[in-house]
Amino acid sequence: MEAHLASGTGVEQLLDPDDPVWARAGEDPLQLIGTPAGLQPTAAIRNTWAGKKIGAVERVQVRAVHNGEILAFRLEWDDATQNDSLTDTTAFIDAAAIALPASPDAVAATMGAPGAAVNTWYWRADEKDGGRHLLAEGLGTTRTLDSGAVRSSGVWKDGRWRVVIARALQVKTSEPVAQLEPDQVTGYAVAVWDGAQQERAGIKGFSGEWRELRLAFEPMARK
Amino acid sequence: MTAGKRQLSMVLDLNKCIGCQTCTISCKRLWTRGDGMDYMWWNTVNTKPGRGTPRDWEQMGGGFRDGVAQPGRLPTGRDFGEAWEFNHNEVFHGGKGDKVHLEIKGEKPDWGPNWDEDQGAGDYPNAYYFYLPRICNHCTHPACLDACPRKAIMKREEDGIVLIDEDRCRGYRFCMEACPYKKIYFNHVANVAQKCIFCFPRIEQGVANACARQCPGRVRFVGYRDDEEAPIWKLVDKWKVAIPLHPEYGTDPNVFYVPPIAPPRIDANGNLDESKPRIPNEYLVSLFGPSVLDALKILEAEMSKTRGGEKSELMDLLIAYKWKEMFGGFDRDPATIEWTKG
Repeated sequence: MEAHLASGTGVEQLLDPDDPVWARAGEDPLQLIGTPAGLQPTAAIRNTWAGKKIGAVERVQVRAVHNGEILAFRLEWDDATQNDSLTDTTAFIDAAAIALPASPDAVAATMGAPGAAVNTWYWRADEKDGGRHLLAEGLGTTRTLDSGAVRSSGVWKDGRWRVVIARALQVKTSEPVAQLEPDQVTGYAVAVWDGAQQERAGIKGFSGEWRELRLAFEPMARK
Repeated sequence: MTAGKRQLSMVLDLNKCIGCQTCTISCKRLWTRGDGMDYMWWNTVNTKPGRGTPRDWEQMGGGFRDGVAQPGRLPTGRDFGEAWEFNHNEVFHGGKGDKVHLEIKGEKPDWGPNWDEDQGAGDYPNAYYFYLPRICNHCTHPACLDACPRKAIMKREEDGIVLIDEDRCRGYRFCMEACPYKKIYFNHVANVAQKCIFCFPRIEQGVANACARQCPGRVRFVGYRDDEEAPIWKLVDKWKVAIPLHPEYGTDPNVFYVPPIAPPRIDANGNLDESKPRIPNEYLVSLFGPSVLDALKILEAEMSKTRGGEKSELMDLLIAYKWKEMFGGFDRDPATIEWTKG
């Protein structure tokens, strides 16, 4: 997939999933698979989820646009229920995330490893306007970095989520996060959690190993 | 997991609990008044037989069988019992006090944290019930700790207290599913799991847990499990009359109970019928395992000793003549400490 270059497009435009700029970007229709119960990090989770359906969301349409400074992903998927508040002890929230390798040998399925981090941009339906900038170096090691680096928006309508998750290509930090630039080719992966099915943590639909992402470096029209 | 150096424990004498809920309220006042904690009762006292809090928690799974983690399910807010709001303003300040009754706002509830109080079981004149106070068991093999994918739960080396690190917790609630005693709550405002902390800030200052110190019935003993000079070791290990609740859950709890002995049954002619106990043995075995029968035999033997005028170390311990001696050295008066909010 190519991240379409839309120079001069402001961040607020990018964060609007209905903005016309998104129609100009190519679409990557992704198949998601449930993370296997057997690979969950604790026996209690493995045994509670053995035989249960994991990965309620099986398809997600992904587009990417950058404006030379900010990279935004737009995700769209079917979800019959909008789970965006903690209404009960049994309630979980719809969420989605983009994962990027923070080093060339980072493995997506293990959420990285010590010294080979996976950088995640995370959206959760109950955190309006927010977004979490996360770093993981293995299963269960995810931690939240600087707040404000990741911005997001989500609209649920007619049984469908349309979500945008964005971050600056370059961020000032000493943490080993993904630093991006136009013309770069990197990998990306997607995860979606369906709150109605009590999906959270490692219980999610996942796109598998890295998909290719190329950041366009001149306007498509001039090609 | 390697065993810690020492383990703090609690023994509760169910023959002395009057169900007054002073423990519950002392805990509530101290620890669960914050946002998102309205429905939390880290200490509960329920009537047994009864469905308990959360409702039917004994059927919700979790814990271990033969060392294997068992699937568990989450209690709902209704299972726990929601924090009701009442029309206090209307009744007390609206000038309608003579027309409007005090009532719960909104939908009429069908459950609460102490809904089936004093119902019990059995038929008159042989009905029976007893009170079962519960806190987190600070287990030697905590299912919550094992279940957490974030390693957000720790068992302290120095005293075995099990604590949740709210900075690491992400509110996934796998611990709530895994705890077979269903003694972990979810704070929907802070998005973290919360539970009894065995009053560790008091313990660290030499003060016994609030639920224990405030108990008017002298029900609760506190102390290190291995302190042979103190009541815990004597009741659990020496006299073997204090036993854990549902040992079959496989977590090795560190809260122990002296099982209840009810008054004798009464037969059709109104005479005492001591051919069988009022509380069926099978019921107590279902709660405490088969060792409850041995504990009851020891208790009965010592009771009959004192009835015959003999001395009994066990009975003296359980009567708790000296209140401060119940606390295994954690007997400092909290009023002598200047507490600051850290």
